[in-house]
Order: sequence, then C-alpha cells, then structure tokens
Amino acid sequence: MTDILLKTSNLTVVYPTKRGAFKALDDISIEIETGKIVGLVGESGAGKSTVGRAVLDLIDAPGYIAEGEIDFQGESLIGKSNDFFTQIRGRKVGYVFQNPMTALDPVMTIGKQVLEAIYANTDLKGEQAYERALDLLTQTRIKDPKDVMEKYPHQMSGGMCQRVVFAIAISANPDLIIADEPTTALDVSVQRSVMDTLIDLCRQYKISVMLVTHDIGVISEYCDFVYVMRHGKHVEQGPTQEVINHPKQDYTRNLMAAVPRLSKRLDRFRVLETVTDAQSKAREVILRYFQESDFPDNDELLLQVDKASCIFNTKSGFFGPPKTTIGLDTVSFTQNRKEILGIVGESGSGKSTMGRAILGLQRLNSGSITYKGTSLTDNNGRAITKDIRLSMQCIFQDPFSSLNPRMTAGENVTFPIRTHKLLPDWLSAKELAENLMLSVGLEASAAYRYPQEFSGGQRQRIAIARAMAFRPEFIFCDEPTSALDVSVQAETLNLMKDLRDQYHLTLLFVSHDLAVVRQMCDRIIVMRNGAICEIANPDQIIENPSHDYTRSLIAAMPKLDLSA
Amino acid sequence: MTDSKIKDFFRDVIFGDPMTALGFVGVVLFLLVALFAPIIAPQNPYDLGAISIMDGQLAPGESLMDGTIAIFGTDEQGRDILSTIIYGLRISLFVAITASTIGTAIGIYLGLISAYYGGVVDSIVMRLVDVKMSFPGILLALMLLALMGQGVEKVILALIIGIWASKARVTRSAALGEIRKEYMRAAQLAGLSANQIILRYLLPNSIAPVIVMLPMIISGAIAAEATLSFLGVGVPITEPSLGMLIANGFDYLLTGYWWISILPGVVLVVLVLCINVVADRIREYANPALRHETM
Repeated sequence: MTDILLKTSNLTVVYPTKRGAFKALDDISIEIETGKIVGLVGESGAGKSTVGRAVLDLIDAPGYIAEGEIDFQGESLIGKSNDFFTQIRGRKVGYVFQNPMTALDPVMTIGKQVLEAIYANTDLKGEQAYERALDLLTQTRIKDPKDVMEKYPHQMSGGMCQRVVFAIAISANPDLIIADEPTTALDVSVQRSVMDTLIDLCRQYKISVMLVTHDIGVISEYCDFVYVMRHGKHVEQGPTQEVINHPKQDYTRNLMAAVPRLSKRLDRFRVLETVTDAQSKAREVILRYFQESDFPDNDELLLQVDKASCIFNTKSGFFGPPKTTIGLDTVSFTQNRKEILGIVGESGSGKSTMGRAILGLQRLNSGSITYKGTSLTDNNGRAITKDIRLSMQCIFQDPFSSLNPRMTAGENVTFPIRTHKLLPDWLSAKELAENLMLSVGLEASAAYRYPQEFSGGQRQRIAIARAMAFRPEFIFCDEPTSALDVSVQAETLNLMKDLRDQYHLTLLFVSHDLAVVRQMCDRIIVMRNGAICEIANPDQIIENPSHDYTRSLIAAMPKLDLSA
Repeated sequence: MTDSKIKDFFRDVIFGDPMTALGFVGVVLFLLVALFAPIIAPQNPYDLGAISIMDGQLAPGESLMDGTIAIFGTDEQGRDILSTIIYGLRISLFVAITASTIGTAIGIYLGLISAYYGGVVDSIVMRLVDVKMSFPGILLALMLLALMGQGVEKVILALIIGIWASKARVTRSAALGEIRKEYMRAAQLAGLSANQIILRYLLPNSIAPVIVMLPMIISGAIAAEATLSFLGVGVPITEPSLGMLIANGFDYLLTGYWWISILPGVVLVVLVLCINVVADRIREYANPALRHETM
C-alpha cells in the first residue's frame, strides 16, 4: 500500500490501577491511507476512542503508551514534546468531539471561536480571516453564517453546533480528522445530514477521517475500511462491505446479528443466549407468582388516551414573560392488552411526556386517560387505587441512575413489595429477589450485590426485574436500550419480548430508533412537537409512510444493507 | 461498608499519609483521655478536699505539698493544671460532639424535606437558613446565651443553632441532584410514602457531603465553645472547659503566671489541629474527582 497517512503498529496503552496495569489498547495496528475514511467500531470499553487520543497525545494521566509506534506522514509521534504536538493538533489533525454542546466554549460567540482557530493555525489576519470563517461556516452548510457568527452556542441546536465544530476542525486544512462519535449526541433526524456534511467536506478536500463509532449503520454507510475492536484488542479488519456482510470472527458475526434492521422484521435477535436450568425454574416460579394476581389473558382494550394535552411553562429570565412550550397536543390513541405499542420521535416530540402522563408523573392540562375502565385523570386521579398504581410500572432510560445505589439489587427490587406487604405466603422476599434475578438472566447471587457492581446492561435487567416485582400489567419503557451496547440491546429486547409472551404484559415502548421499534412493536405511533403524525403497523410505517415527517425519519436512518 | 472496605479506608486514607496518621493518633488519644479523665488525671481539681491553696501558682515542674510533681504547674487555687486540662477536655469534647451531631442531624433533616417537598416548605426552610446566615455566628451565640444564661445545655443549644443552617443548605443541594434521578421516579411509582422515600432513598444518597464535613464541624464547635467560654457566656465556672481555663488564667498572664492560660490554649490548638488534619484528608478522599483514581 502506498501513501499511508497514519500508521500505528503494536500500539499498547496502559492505565496503571491498584489491581495492576489495565491495557486500554493491546497491540493495535491500524493504517489510514490519504483521503480514505476509516472506521473504528466496537462496543463500550473497546478502546476505540483511545486510539484517536493516543495519536494526539491526549491520553489522560496516569495512562501512557507502553509500547508501539505511531507514524504520521512518515514521522514518529512517540516521545515528541508538547510543542511538537501543538503544531500537529488543529493544523494537521482536526478533532471532532462527541458532544458539540460541551466542545464549544459557552461564553464565546461562534465567530470568535472559529476566528480563534483560524488565527492559531493559519497566517490569515483581519478581514481575510473573517472571510475565511464565513466561508468555512458556509461550507459546513450553516444557514445565515453572518448571524451565526454573533451567536452563542446555547442559542443553536446540537446539529448546528456540531457543524461549527467541523468548521473549526477543517479551518487549517488538516490532513486527518479524528471524529469521535460525531453524531451520537445528536437527534436522529439530523444525524444523517450532519454526517453527510462532514464526509462530503472531507472527500472534497481529500482529508482522511478516523471515524470512531459504535454505530454499525454509520460505518456501513460512510467508511471505506473498518477495524473492529473489542476490549482494547483488534478483532477484525477489512473493506467495510466485506466485514459487514461476511464477518470472519464470531464476535463480529454476533455484533452484526444484534443490529436492529429497518428493512426486515425478525421474531428475535439472533444472539447467543443460554438459559440455564436454574433460570428456567425461576421463570416458572415467577410465572406462578404472576398467575396468582389473575389478570385476564385477552386482547381487550387496556389503555385509552383521549385528546391529551399539556403545556409547560418556563420562565425566560428573571423578569421576562413566561414562555410556554407544548408538551402534548391533543394526543389520542388506544392500546390493547398484550400489545407492544411503540412511540418514536426526536427529542422534544412529547413521547416521554406521554408515558409520564399515563404513569401520573405529569399532569395534563386537558384530555383524559382511561386505564382498565378507570379514569386516571378525573378529579386529579382520585380514582387511582394502590392496585392500579402498582400495576403500571416503568423501565427507565438511564440504568446508571434508575437504581438506588445504597440498596442491593435485591432490596431495590423487593423493598416496595415488602413495604406494601404484597408478598404471597409461599414466597419470601429473598426468594422473590433471587428468582427475579434468574428470570431476567442474571445469577441468583446478583440480588446481594450493589448496582455499582454491574454493567449497564445488567443494571437494565435489574430495572426490568424491579418492574416485574409488582406483577404489573402495563410497563412503560422509556428508551430502555438507548444507553446500551448493541449486543446488550439485542439481549434486552429479546428478554422484554419473552416477558410479554410469558406474563401477558402490555408494553408502551418509547424510542428514537425506528429500527428498534420496528423489531419490537405491534403498532407504531410517530410523534412530533407533541402531536401524533401517524399511527400504523410497522410494515406500513416503514414501507408506506403516509406522513412527510415519517418519511424524513426513515430517510435519516443509516441504511444497513445486509445479506442477513 | 464491609469490613474489608473499612480496612482499606484505614490503610489508604488514614495511615497512607504520615501527617494524617499522626493527627488520627492524636484524636484517639484525646478521646481516650477525655473518656477516662478520672483515672488518668493526677487529682480531681474540683474536689475541694484534694486541692490545697498552699499549692497555688506553682510553675510547671515544681512539687506540690504532698511531694507529687505538677508537670503543668498549678493555678491560684492550687489546682493541678494538667488535671484541669484533662477535665476541661472532657467538657469541651462532650459539648462539641453533642452539638455537632444534633445540629448536623437537624440540618440534614430540614435539607431533605426542603428538597423533597419544595414549594412552601422549601421557601420557609431556606428563608430561615438565610436569616440565620445573615447573623455573624459568634454574635448570634452571644445574644442567645445572654438571654438564656449560662449552662452546658445552653451552650450546646447555642452551638446547634449556629450549626444547622449551612448543613441544611448543603444537604438540600445534594438531595436536589438526587431527586432528579430516575430511581426517585421508580420509588414514586412503587407507591412508597414520602417518609419511606426520604429515609431509604433520599437520605443515604444525599448525606455524604455533610458527613464528610462532620469532623470539621466538631473542631469548629470546639473552637466556638472555647470562644464563648472565654468571653464568659459559655459553660459555668463549676464545669470549666478548655476555653474557660484560658479565660481564668488570662488575668494572671501579665503577672508572669503564663502556664495557667497558655497550656490549656496549646492543648486546644493541638486538638483542633489534629481533627482538622484528619478531616481534610477524609474530605480529599471523598472528593469524587480525586477518588476516581483510587478506585
């Protein structure tokens, strides 16, 4: 191969810890050719970001490069001085961060920040620099660049901010851009156009890109070549289509199988799952526990939302007039028992607000919600009995904040049940906790450990177990997998489907990811700005959307053409 | 905390740093001396039968009438200064620890209900805090004691009034951060009562910042009590604390009997210093930014 811009060989990065050295990168060799877009893909903890940081000598102390070589344009970067790297950073290598809102300085105007980068990395001055800044902002497809120059980051959307970050990154005509999850923090609806902008610019100026992401869709769409990593080790490499369609390693194959497809509905994600004897026994115990509360096994109407509206009042400044935002705008839908109903939409579309309103965490300004024939909204919900309240549970988005860190997993799950004295005679709190842990695919001993000792996916299982402990009929799932890695997401989604099938649960499933919703749901509601755009079954939504917004959402999803 | 965690804590945090280790040993020694004062002290300085006016104002190292040596000298009544210090330490520590614990507990409780209920409760509690914080602490205590008169329990009450407010504020801000987390929503959906949520969910997750401050609060209370006693509004003359001893000897300072006032003062300074050294280290350890590396 000729014309190699960046090459790392046998790169090993070590973080010394109390329990010995932790290898964040273990023997990683990658090559980036000039003008190529190279993806680093892997799940959290794969060390993919560390590669980019190592190149720019940005590894946080006490981590250090223990072994290996980094060559950039034929020159070794190992052991170079800080001054040397200052020359590289910004001028030859641009860096794009994950969260544009924190990557920009909140107390500086956009114009100043772009100009600062131009002053620091080029010889342009005064008028010329200003023209260059305008030009950069125009090239990153920012509307009204002159106005934007005067604005502060908080006055702009995340997508616009990320475009500004791009402008800063390319200001000095670098040879390489390291993009660390550049669209992960952005809304689904803008991810695609933002990503397109970056890739078009880089292709135009023959800038190489190191694209670090967990999103296989993004990789498949933009990268020429891809490296798959896991636990700091190299797994597989090759031209993108080859790796995605004909993965050679088991890990890659599993990873690809776990990616939810938009194009085709599968009953289950094909990921390796083993159910032990103890676990299947536990599921029977839990089933008996559920059957005792004998709720009917039919497809009747469970939930009815009628013209639900709510308005948020926010103060704008100390003396300013109150601002109103529409949370929900005359939303009406029904949900039958045992149905998995999905709600999709971008952030601010009111999808979580709807769920919170059903659970009684958010008051409606008008409209009504009826659950099992009981009104949840009349007289401020006076008709809600404890039974009704407890039969509606929730699985939250962030598994790191949804469990009480000062209680063991078992206490988290059973404390409320014990307090309400809802345990049957034949089942003690301890047994319930252990069986629930087993039935969601954890060890029985998990009940005695604290949430901090678990990974995100395991915590989400505990959160599911907690919801299950109440023998609920209805579970509101608020983006339950968006904080999880794809293989963990696949396992969790499979688990939730199993629960629906076994315990006749009704799930209201909120997500921003159309592909996930398509795999999970019987019907889908598309929401925008607090109002429903359309309700239909998944096939119809994906293949024959009737609303423009749905079409744009589908267009924004990265296409993953897999011969699966 | 499990046993091994406690062991780790002592090994890494307390004995990991020589100054802290020294301070910790100092604190333990002071506590033991205070606890076993009647056994350790050479005489009971407040038993009139045990002291003799003939021994009055002996310099450190001189012998008493009965032949024992007064290491720290005696005061004008013939009391052994070392003994008065040991007994004084007892009073000082008792007052400070009691007041700090009760004051902090009240502060934590008010902070929690303020954060949990919000609205009117929050406004009332926080305005009370503002009112309290707008008085200079020592002035407030002086006023209170001037109104209530002397007495150990009154000093404790005055110190509690001085302590609770800032702790309520700290707890409230920690609790507000926790209340926004999703496990609080989960607790609500579990139909738990407000008391259960506050006690089992909010309290354990919000008290860390205040608990870490506790040693510092205690050392502050020791100093504050000494100040009040020195100014003559603190503990009664029959139960003299370290501050009281300093005040008693103050009159003799210029006549050359320096030890009566200076020695209790030195002990007070060393005591507060020891606690502060340990407290500082614990605070450093509890700082999440620094702690991250040790975990």
